Amino acid sequence: MTTAVDSVHSALAEIVGGARVVSEPTACAARAVGGRVPWHIVDAPTAESVAGVLKFASDHDLAVIPHGNGTKLAQGCPPCRYDLALSLKEMNHVRHYEPADLTISVEAGMRLGDLQDFLGREGLWLPLRPRGGANATIGGILATNSAGPLRLRFGSARDIVLGIKVATTEGRLIKSGGRVVKNVAGYDLCKLLVGSYGTLGVIVEASLKLFPRPASRATWVLETGTLDLARDLRRRILNSPLEPLCLVLLNPAASDLLGNGPHSGEAHGVELWVEAGGSPRILERHARDLAEMGRSVGVRSRQVSEQTAERCWSWLINFEQLFAGSFPEVLVLKASLPIASTEQFLSLAQRGAEGEEIRMAGIAQVGVGIVHLGLWGEKLGKVADRVVTNTRKAAESLGGALVVEQYPNGFNAESDVWGPPGDTFEAMRGVKAAWDPKGVLSPGRFVGGI
Amino acid sequence: MKPTALVRELEKILGREAVLWRPDDVMLYEYDGLSALHPPDVVVFPRTTVDVVRIVKFAASQKLLVVPRGAGTGLSGGSIPWQGGILIAFARMKDILEIDLENQRARVQPGVVNLDLTLAVSDAGYYYAPDPSSQKACTLGGNVAENAGGPHTLLHGVTTNHVLGLEVVLPSGEVIHTGGKFWDAPGYDLTGLFVGSEGTLGIVTEITVRLMRKAESVATLLAVYDRIIDATRTVAAITARGITPAALEMIDGFTLRAIEEATHAGYPMDSAAVLLIEVEGLKEAVEEDALHIESVCQENRARHVRRARSAEERDLFWKGRKNAFGALGRISPSYYVQDGVIPRTRLPEMLEFIGQIGTKYSVKIGNIFHAGDGNLHPIILFDPRDEDESRRVREAAGEILAKCIDMGGSITGEHGVGIEKINLMPFLFSADDLDMMRKIKGVFNSEGRFNPGKVLPTGKMCGELRASVSPGGVL
Repeated sequence: MTTAVDSVHSALAEIVGGARVVSEPTACAARAVGGRVPWHIVDAPTAESVAGVLKFASDHDLAVIPHGNGTKLAQGCPPCRYDLALSLKEMNHVRHYEPADLTISVEAGMRLGDLQDFLGREGLWLPLRPRGGANATIGGILATNSAGPLRLRFGSARDIVLGIKVATTEGRLIKSGGRVVKNVAGYDLCKLLVGSYGTLGVIVEASLKLFPRPASRATWVLETGTLDLARDLRRRILNSPLEPLCLVLLNPAASDLLGNGPHSGEAHGVELWVEAGGSPRILERHARDLAEMGRSVGVRSRQVSEQTAERCWSWLINFEQLFAGSFPEVLVLKASLPIASTEQFLSLAQRGAEGEEIRMAGIAQVGVGIVHLGLWGEKLGKVADRVVTNTRKAAESLGGALVVEQYPNGFNAESDVWGPPGDTFEAMRGVKAAWDPKGVLSPGRFVGGI
Repeated sequence: MKPTALVRELEKILGREAVLWRPDDVMLYEYDGLSALHPPDVVVFPRTTVDVVRIVKFAASQKLLVVPRGAGTGLSGGSIPWQGGILIAFARMKDILEIDLENQRARVQPGVVNLDLTLAVSDAGYYYAPDPSSQKACTLGGNVAENAGGPHTLLHGVTTNHVLGLEVVLPSGEVIHTGGKFWDAPGYDLTGLFVGSEGTLGIVTEITVRLMRKAESVATLLAVYDRIIDATRTVAAITARGITPAALEMIDGFTLRAIEEATHAGYPMDSAAVLLIEVEGLKEAVEEDALHIESVCQENRARHVRRARSAEERDLFWKGRKNAFGALGRISPSYYVQDGVIPRTRLPEMLEFIGQIGTKYSVKIGNIFHAGDGNLHPIILFDPRDEDESRRVREAAGEILAKCIDMGGSITGEHGVGIEKINLMPFLFSADDLDMMRKIKGVFNSEGRFNPGKVLPTGKMCGELRASVSPGGVL
């Protein structure tokens, strides 16, 4: 056995360079995914080396999980096998930048925080607030189609990517799309790869659409107290001429955690957080209209400081950190819903959590229809499976779907993370088989065991 | 003349009123916006998904080719039955199945005309954003197949950014449902893959789209220039100021004189170029942006900037733009529209290049661009009866698209590859790139019976096409 591990180590070292392959057991144990420990950790320095590693893995039937900073590695089922942890962190260079064209091409391992700092010099930004925040890498954001609350205005990673370069299991480097903002030549493989969770190929480079950073921003909180009032106000805001950047609803537990930390005694109700951007006149208009809309239903609108707002937004996207320390075990669910059903879903989920005697923080991007739930409590381990089943039923009964983003020990992750595949499953399996015939890329992690 | 066995079988499935087969009838389906001519063997008109499934299953059992068609306005030959077969025309699947304003969604059959959807929700203050110039005629099914754009996609994105779910009939006759009314359906984004796949992976029978709320305020500006270069510089300067207009169109002097004679939109007859710029949004934002844009235009030597004072005047500005192709048709027997894309900062250089190409090949080229996103539509005028001129047009077009590729751009921004640009694909994509696309095609359409000869070149086809496809016009 040892000899096999050694020979794989040297073969990989030949592809990426000796210092970039680690096979030391403790280091590997620290990189476990879903309880499975890889044999080797490989830091690929170039696109060509990623392709080389994939070809080697495919030829020798070694399972690979590609990753950047690992901020979203908890998402997905545990792998059914795992040999190589393929890190793209070293690939963090800007390949092409044309600020006047509002486009940039970067390597997949670039941290979002570094990219935002770089773009900030020209007054530009990438309007994404994905899970993992500044630590998320571009490759990871694309592989998981992560977006965050700015989606209301700017869309998700899927809408912002113009082109990608991908390493395939045959060791090829291929491209789809390009650097221009409009392009319909050939199949849109960007769409296929974005959100494919590293199961089809490894995104090594991406060209992205950039946006001017708003001149200034402001955030208001509308303390609606109840979900009914929150729904009423959400309708009014979405039907108004206002064009907020984000519109987020927090349930009482979420506002409580955000406002005072997990152990405060002060009770909070349901809150709507609204962020707008633009010139002072545009912000004034938002302030005035939001206050007016609030008043018409007896709800106060208060502007919060930039600092508080930043804390809220960064907290929302680093959901799990909120619980760190206080609650070691947490279940994070993401529901995708028709936008009008978000409040009703929250109320059904809340009732379910109460029935199981666990607590639930709910954060809903109400204009988009994406809801994140954080569930915790002493009994969580015992009831997690049932909570997922019932909450998924609630989402489906409202015409939506539900996936598990993070789960506690003992949860039946193999069967329950993605929910039942629909009538597209055979087609998805076909796509997987066409691009990764040996099933070496993130095996078992995606929908239906793909 | 008697119907063939194939026709009789299809008549049994759909009824006689849903099948066309006489040469005079099917001849109308031998071309679309590209005048490469090849008639289908038979044209069928399904009313429901079930009808489509029955046609497709029958075709599968007989190993017949199948080509879908909306309104036939496509410019790349996507709906031309290049190798014959059954043409499925969606003219009778034109119901808006559901308008769900609370969720900002609509569910439609593929034969619904683009503009009809907007009209259906307009009174409630909503619209469907992608607006191809042919929006009065083109269908949403065709828009999905080609991933259609339009002038107003600069701010809001193209078709793929507005489609959330599809019902698709695969070549086997199996029906699948991708996405839905919500974002992020678990699994691969097959909706995103199907949009723009030009009917080569499956036939779309139902579409769920996003509806958008109309902006509170709109300002439409017409900036007039004495030099083309100043107009193109303005485009870059507007982007550099951090303003994203809803639309930013450029029309050169030659084209604009043709338009003005046809539509009397009020464009100045003696200018070198105009920019048609629209900003929309909150009243305050529109006022600020409009003032900024006016000053950017003036800094870049616009002769003057006019702002539409009424909805009627706005419509008039746009009428000229949207009827440009027709207007050029008045002064030339035919024309060939290009659809290249370049990084928008390279516009000045590109326009100069196009001018040189016109001189080199002695052809007249009009320019009408989605300047804001670098999507060019050079229109080369010609007489198809003049063989030498037709050859020069093809060569001029080839050089323009090669230049787009050189600049890091694309050969098509919104019209699709179809049969028209299939031979250019190897210049844009490597053999590996194309091969990975073929693998995807193999998953869905392994026998190649669905819309054969489109998008992906095969070795055999290249030679044939080079010999026989000629650029064409819509007249």
